[in-house]
Amino acid sequence: MTRAARSEALHRAVRRFAAGERTRSFDALAREIAEFQREFSPGFARLWASRRAPNGGADDIPGVPCDAFRMARVAIHPETEDRLRFWTSGTTSGARGMHAIRDPETYHELALAFGRSALLANRAAHQVVALAPLLDEPPSSSLGHMMALFMVDFEQRGRFDVRTPGRWLIDDRGVQIAGLEQAAARASERGETLLVLATSFALVSLLDALDGRPLPLPPSTVVMQTGGFKGKTREVAPEELRSAVARTFDIAEAQIVSEYGMTELTSQLYEATLPGSALQAEQSGEPGVYREPPWLRVVPVDPVTLDPVPTGEVGIARIVDLGNVDSAVAIQTQDRVRRVEGGIMLLGRAAGSPPRGCSLSIEEFMAGGS
Amino acid sequence: MNDFEFEARRARLEPLFDSARSLADASTERGQRARERIAASSGLSPQGVELALQRCLESRPAESEISALIRSTPSAQVAHVLLSANVFVAAHRAIAIGLAASEHVRVRASRREPEMAELLFSGAPNSFQLVNELSPHAGDRLWAYGSDETMDEVAVTLPPGVALHAHGAGFGVAVMDGSLSESEWAELLPALAEDIALFDQRGCLSPRVLLVNAEPPFVGEVARRLALELAALEQRVPRGRLSALELSEIARYRDTAHFTGEVLEAGLGFVTLGTADRWLLPPTGRNIHVVPSSDALSALTPHRPLLTSCAFAGEPRLGQALSRAIPGARSCRFGQMQRPPFDGPVDRREL
Repeated sequence: MTRAARSEALHRAVRRFAAGERTRSFDALAREIAEFQREFSPGFARLWASRRAPNGGADDIPGVPCDAFRMARVAIHPETEDRLRFWTSGTTSGARGMHAIRDPETYHELALAFGRSALLANRAAHQVVALAPLLDEPPSSSLGHMMALFMVDFEQRGRFDVRTPGRWLIDDRGVQIAGLEQAAARASERGETLLVLATSFALVSLLDALDGRPLPLPPSTVVMQTGGFKGKTREVAPEELRSAVARTFDIAEAQIVSEYGMTELTSQLYEATLPGSALQAEQSGEPGVYREPPWLRVVPVDPVTLDPVPTGEVGIARIVDLGNVDSAVAIQTQDRVRRVEGGIMLLGRAAGSPPRGCSLSIEEFMAGGS
Repeated sequence: MNDFEFEARRARLEPLFDSARSLADASTERGQRARERIAASSGLSPQGVELALQRCLESRPAESEISALIRSTPSAQVAHVLLSANVFVAAHRAIAIGLAASEHVRVRASRREPEMAELLFSGAPNSFQLVNELSPHAGDRLWAYGSDETMDEVAVTLPPGVALHAHGAGFGVAVMDGSLSESEWAELLPALAEDIALFDQRGCLSPRVLLVNAEPPFVGEVARRLALELAALEQRVPRGRLSALELSEIARYRDTAHFTGEVLEAGLGFVTLGTADRWLLPPTGRNIHVVPSSDALSALTPHRPLLTSCAFAGEPRLGQALSRAIPGARSCRFGQMQRPPFDGPVDRREL
């Protein structure tokens, strides 16, 4: 079978798996994708060969470090087959990583399936706005693309141009508070649920702009918050931000759902806190605990040996994402995680940094120095 | 600067040099104790400490270099010196610069590795003060060494009127021109291995990338030979203790390099092969990334603000062009990267 045909077959298998079909186990499918990638990616083949004989499970698939996306093309297919290209955040050294997507259909199905589970508390139509800059064309941000996807799908109005005024509520002047108020009014008039998609930094900017003033939103409003504060001037602890946002919007903290995603991944993780959501109905989740979709597994590994750590111990996250058929089915991040009841707890990047005095770190180099 | 002032400054340095000389002497109890203390705090192997003491501690600098250091150092009412960890011998040069600047020198040692400053102080107790906190005032100067985060913190907390000489993070590169004969380049590799191994590569002068102007097969051969040299050197001078975070960064680097190129084991460290367009910066711990480059000038230019040191071997004209293109980096021969002239701060990017 050709590379393209095998890729197609694997995409179909992953979509069926996501739809609930279980003719193959997660481990078997992950392994099959890894074998495919080993055959067609010399880089992955070298990484694989550097490991001792894996035992056949998904947990032993070597993770491609996220740095590799900045250093090289991480894709099985040629550039001519790229349908979407998502870029990692820019650095002054110009070393941006790129995740090339050959089959957007898989990306869309997986993102929507788990997004609906985590963010929709009812079957009613939603009014969706993003505390984010206007989506570029073609979309270069995986987050922006996902937000646009949610706008179209969750609003249930058929296809429409998401680049209409009033949907992307950050511009050169900052967060458009009036735009958010108008969206809230529209949702109330129509009896729709307001869904606010936001980065953590955008929420902080909004709170700063409000300067303590409340901005009550409809009681059923849901907020999806994502992302950290890398490169930003002000950081706020997650629990503090959640509390402040809930207070400002006059909604319950459980209606603020955190998402964890990366440019290098196809799939996302969510907190299972939203009352009425499918994810919460399965098993109620605590804030700070992220639920994996069935087609993704986080494997906490020892940061030095990269071997899986015993359940409950802190490791760095290796993420096996079946959606990454054409890139890297296993990604090695530097994010510290611990498996807990109901999911994965994110603990941030490795605490501190190696004692390096004046020697330049990899992070500093990637960021272009000081 | 008149002769009188010069001589006064010169005289202030001598007790420090005496102190450095006595602790570099392994035959004395003071020298032995110094080795034990430094090995315990730095994590370097005893052989690593010995190598650094013998090769890098400038206990007998040339008069011409001392003169250059004195003449290039501005005077201060009080000279404050904030020391960094990792390259223990750096305390000597940093304190010397302070003494060249003022008769009142206050030194805050690295909290993690205070030994060298304390050892130098014990041999020259009247030369400078060791303090727990620096509190400079207007008219004073502060020479600060360390990470960029530390430099940023210092800069924002400094009172007005204090001159800051900040020396932050950086790295070294080595450039090997293709015009060399096989015997010539083979001789360079042991010297480069020593440059890499000193201080287990934790210094800002340590080479992290080697550019080779040659066809890829030859570059691969250079990398393999360098890996062998590093492994052989490790037998004589074992790598010291690395932290879990350093080891974690090495694992991350190694796997990235597997994906993007070739990885060669070099004792406990690695030599990796890549392409010139995107550098992979190895972490500390005796690792180096080797890339083919037919145009070293263009390859180095984007990294100019970060480069502290550049070893070169090849056509003199190219070496001179490199020196002009990256004036902040100290140009030197292979094997000399960790031994810059004692003429001022090793990091010249500020100047």
